[in-house]
Amino acid sequence: MELVIDVKNLSKKYGSHEAVKGISFEVKKGALFAFLGTNGAGKSTSIEMLCTLLEKTSGDVKINGVSLGSRTNNYLIRKAIGVVFQQSILDTRLTVEENILHRGNIYKLTKKELQENWEFVNRYLHLKDIAKKKYGTLSGGQKRRADIARAIIHKPTILFLDEPTTGLDPQTRVFVWDAIKKLQEETNMTIFLTTHYMEEAAVADEIVVMKEGKIVSKGTPHTLKEQYTYDELFVFFNNGVDGTSLLTQHDLNFAEKNGEYRVRVQSTIHALDILKELQNFISSFEVKKGSMDDVFIRINEEVPLT
Amino acid sequence: MNTMLNLVNRHNKVFRRDRMLVFFSILSVIIVIMLYAIFIQKTQVDAIEQLVPASDQLKTMVNEWMVAGLLSIIAVTTTLAALGIYIKDLETKVMADFLTTPNARAKIQLSYVINSLLIGFVLSLIGLIACQLFIVFMGGSWFSLEKIAQLIGIIALAVTLSSVFNLFLTLLVSTQNAFSTLNTVVGTAIGFLCGVYVPLGAVPEFVQKIIMLFPISHTTVLFREALMRDSLDKVFEGAPEAANTYEIQFGVHYEWNDVIFSQLDSVIYIVAAIIVFTLISLWLYGKKNK
Repeated sequence: MELVIDVKNLSKKYGSHEAVKGISFEVKKGALFAFLGTNGAGKSTSIEMLCTLLEKTSGDVKINGVSLGSRTNNYLIRKAIGVVFQQSILDTRLTVEENILHRGNIYKLTKKELQENWEFVNRYLHLKDIAKKKYGTLSGGQKRRADIARAIIHKPTILFLDEPTTGLDPQTRVFVWDAIKKLQEETNMTIFLTTHYMEEAAVADEIVVMKEGKIVSKGTPHTLKEQYTYDELFVFFNNGVDGTSLLTQHDLNFAEKNGEYRVRVQSTIHALDILKELQNFISSFEVKKGSMDDVFIRINEEVPLT
Repeated sequence: MNTMLNLVNRHNKVFRRDRMLVFFSILSVIIVIMLYAIFIQKTQVDAIEQLVPASDQLKTMVNEWMVAGLLSIIAVTTTLAALGIYIKDLETKVMADFLTTPNARAKIQLSYVINSLLIGFVLSLIGLIACQLFIVFMGGSWFSLEKIAQLIGIIALAVTLSSVFNLFLTLLVSTQNAFSTLNTVVGTAIGFLCGVYVPLGAVPEFVQKIIMLFPISHTTVLFREALMRDSLDKVFEGAPEAANTYEIQFGVHYEWNDVIFSQLDSVIYIVAAIIVFTLISLWLYGKKNK
């Protein structure tokens, strides 16, 4: 499989502080790649280096086979990438169309190319209803649509998104995700994103987790879940039943809080056996599969989530 | 479309559509007009009447004096306001967005300067038209073509100098908060540093020297000479002594330790300042983006 991003021992130092400590990873063409980590883990610094916005201290980065570093190479890379920033970077008093065409024009496209690309972004982001509206008057979700449209107006092969759905309502998040997925599937665009929403990372093809400037884990959502989570069974016992001694009798690993017993199980299926044994004693139960949230929390255990 | 043209066009739209920004960029001008209407005009007429008998031309001459100050201030405040877009873009990451495109940082930076020159020039021209109408409305005469050409030339010098001077100041700050403070300081100080709020002769000698050394004040001197020469000759007809006293007291031309600055001296001083501030700005820019 062709690699579009190949990072080896990338690091960034600010004076004596090392924000990124020699990370290495690869992104395959057309993949949806998620970068996870708490604030300050080094995600943004890494993404800024890949986008040519920040100079690396050491290491090798190849994007589409081009080495990051020299001016000519960086220009080649910039043509191939689109960036959706965390905050709005379009002009509030310009219409969506003006905004996107102005930014598109900086890529030295011909009039015809720009027109074609404008139709291309329209197809994926449905801008017709907001094209003539001033960017500043749009809702959060409409703004995000325009932001993504701006990032792909030059038809990049790699799209970087820095927390694209933070602060959006659930409906808009779904819309944004659909657009991103559609772009990935239909145009084979590589998607590289950072996010705080674990359930979003769960749909990625590959995940890299950063902590304190280092990569602490990588893999598919499935392998990470296997590695870091376990399924759990929650039970409430009938009045008068001593849950603690019952569970201890069955040699189960558990924790209790306000009458709710949390039992660790090997798999959800395994919970069935336990429930059969306990069915006369319990008033209610719930079985939960390990989630990406758990992966994230487990990896960052001693670091408080933000 | 050409990248540079496109960038300048974008900055220009951002400026034009922000009505408050346009208004605040000419706020100092409005203050000058108000101060003038309230007391500067009367004090000056009174002062001149001590030197020569009152004539019809007197009011026009004083109006022209005010207009000269106004035109040099407008060049400074509008170019600075236009450069504010650069600071805003820097802080709101718009600059980062531009930098993800295959364009040199220097080219993007230059687009802000070109936009500032353009906005300064256009607003100064509008100012000039407004001033001409004001002078005629108050009983003065229409400018000759030669005078208009001369004034446009001075505007070009004033706008260029103001723009590079403001670029130098802008490169010293990097947040909108700091820029807003800078804007207030420049907007307030410029009227004094060009001898518009208070005539040159009314301030202590060392302050006079500071004003004379301040390059932008030389654009005011050039504007005064160009605008007032005809009226000056008429008002002070047959009173060369009084004319000279007035011209020095009110900054129509500068006298430094008995040496009189000619118009050419002022032009040279302005051009030299443009070069110096351009070089300092380049150095600052290089240092900032190492």
